[in-house]
Amino acid sequence: MRTDFDVIIIGGGVTGLGTARDCSLRGLKTLVVERGDIAQGASGRNHGLLHSGARYAVTDKDSAAECIRENRILRRVASNCVEPTEGLFITLPEDDLSYQKTFIESCRAAGIDASAIDPSEALKMEPSVNKDIIGAVKVPDASVDPFRLCAANALDAKIHGAEIRTYTQVTSFIIESGKVVGVRLRDTRSGQETEARATITVNAAGIWGQKIAAMAGANIAMYPAKGALLIFAHRVNRMVINRCRKPANADILVPGDVVCVVGTTSDRVPMEECDNMHVTAEEVNLLLQEGCKLAPSLASTRVLRAYAGVRPLVASDSDPSGRSISRGIVLLDHETRDGIGGFISITGGKLTSYRLMGEMATDLVCRKLNVSKKCSTASQPLPGSENEDVNCKGMAQKAARGRQGTLISKMDFEAKSELICECEHVTRAEVEYAVKNLGVTNLEDLRRRTRIGMGTCQGSFCIKKAAAVLAELLGHPEMAPILIREYVAERWKGMAPVCWGESLREAEFMRKTFKDEL
Amino acid sequence: MSFDVVIIGGGLAGLSAGVELLKVGKSCAAVSEGLSLNNAPREEFVALGGVLFSGDSVVRGEFDSDRLVKVFTRNLENTPLAAQSFILSTGKFFSGGLRSTKDIIYEPIFGADVEYDHDPAAWCSPDINSTQPFECFGLATDSSQRVMISGRVIENLYAAGEILSGQVEIINSALEVCRRII
Repeated sequence: MRTDFDVIIIGGGVTGLGTARDCSLRGLKTLVVERGDIAQGASGRNHGLLHSGARYAVTDKDSAAECIRENRILRRVASNCVEPTEGLFITLPEDDLSYQKTFIESCRAAGIDASAIDPSEALKMEPSVNKDIIGAVKVPDASVDPFRLCAANALDAKIHGAEIRTYTQVTSFIIESGKVVGVRLRDTRSGQETEARATITVNAAGIWGQKIAAMAGANIAMYPAKGALLIFAHRVNRMVINRCRKPANADILVPGDVVCVVGTTSDRVPMEECDNMHVTAEEVNLLLQEGCKLAPSLASTRVLRAYAGVRPLVASDSDPSGRSISRGIVLLDHETRDGIGGFISITGGKLTSYRLMGEMATDLVCRKLNVSKKCSTASQPLPGSENEDVNCKGMAQKAARGRQGTLISKMDFEAKSELICECEHVTRAEVEYAVKNLGVTNLEDLRRRTRIGMGTCQGSFCIKKAAAVLAELLGHPEMAPILIREYVAERWKGMAPVCWGESLREAEFMRKTFKDEL
Repeated sequence: MSFDVVIIGGGLAGLSAGVELLKVGKSCAAVSEGLSLNNAPREEFVALGGVLFSGDSVVRGEFDSDRLVKVFTRNLENTPLAAQSFILSTGKFFSGGLRSTKDIIYEPIFGADVEYDHDPAAWCSPDINSTQPFECFGLATDSSQRVMISGRVIENLYAAGEILSGQVEIINSALEVCRRII
């Protein structure tokens, strides 16, 4: 039987890419197929929080212990994606202070270093926090850039021989004698149909995994739990701020780069809504109201965008909110579970545990392929996170160093110093590197690799220039207006729900700036 | 300082009106923040003898019952600009003619009446390609394009340009105001 690959991974989110990296490091010939771009689903639509596990300590000890182990690993191997901000769990006058004791005991039982600090001390550490706090606990939470994390995993997988095909959708499985032996694929842009064969196929499609599994004849009942978030145009906090109570809506504020993100909500949504998430006015109100309790200055801070992701939880019929469903990892061997050979699913879990999910899935793949090589992703740094000193001079190179880490040594800053995006200090050197090495085909892809257009102007000032450069690099200069139109329409979706104050000014400006392209 | 007409907002609408008024011999001053999305005829306005207070903005007005008597600017502080007629042409949101909070839209200088949808969720459409509801919000005026405050018409304060509600023809709205003033 012909096989093109040892393993095909369906899904270019953090789980699929983490699995692909692990598989390729163990010498497996690996293909990733993703119907959109990497990190386009829940992987890029979350807080960017590297959990310490404290949030789950009281309700889900196993998840908490898993988080703190992975938290420690990712601080080392993904140092370029993680900012060790640390976190606070605050108690407000309306909260029950006695919960703090249970919380600290549970954290310690899970191996999380949690210590109560005096509220006045907490205010010194985190001046943005609500001054009315009556209690505070310090925990090792951190901030993580999920786009950077996905791109680094994808890059390392490619360096080790994996092939990553974005904008490639699985249309059906090739099943022979009750065994999945490959997938039929469609290029979502050209419409071209192909197929690829492998000994093992891994379903890592997040919330869309239910549909993928069903295509192969397996049933996974997933629980689509929508989480809405708001991004503010300024970073008001240094540390992650959480509420010290049972997990509820909008009780985490995470700083990241020059912005901060408050979230989330948790509401079950119909599966068919997962492809087109809208943030409602009620969600915006709730997020603002609760967010201001964490850091009151948010009330006067410009809201840049609203967005929502869908957690790939595996369903339980007894909990309509989805909050008490385990955030634990679900690894399914469909051969033993459903009698479908060559097919496994890796789902559940969370951003913080993506590496472990990749390890578990790859361990199972290796068992099936009789490969004995051990996992090395817990010790081998991701590209950009190697502990090397790289020379960088000037603002733009420093900004690129922050995004791309040691990879900047491969960029030609001398010859290509032209600044493309002023908000985020992205130069032509970084754009060219991303287009040539990181699988960029449109401006949204470029944004996810370089943060281009993610600043306060939301692309109004830079994206025409970026489009011209990208279209030229892609060899289709005539595509520039189309690239712009797609990009602006996507940015607008996040602006529309928070269209007041400075963001309304921006919206009016954007409509005028792009009137020729729209 | 006293003029026939003081124009608040030196964008395309305000200065186009100013140019027409100067041509018929009216003395004009314009206060301009300097931020305009359209090309305003600044040079022509000045060449015709218009006084342009650039980089300045009107902060408040003084009224005598339903007439605006003078306006105060940020830079001129204690030297108000008095006039027979005033034109309010400070644009929409980008230019600062209208401002918004999460719940309301208002005109910041005089608190003039604004026509807008009181449901903030309806201000913006999720499709960038369609005309946005907020682009049609603007000042409530009488049939002579006169500004209203708390439902009362201000007899000598006219609105021109994008600050008006509805679909606005910028130049036409400016010429209409000139006809009323002349």
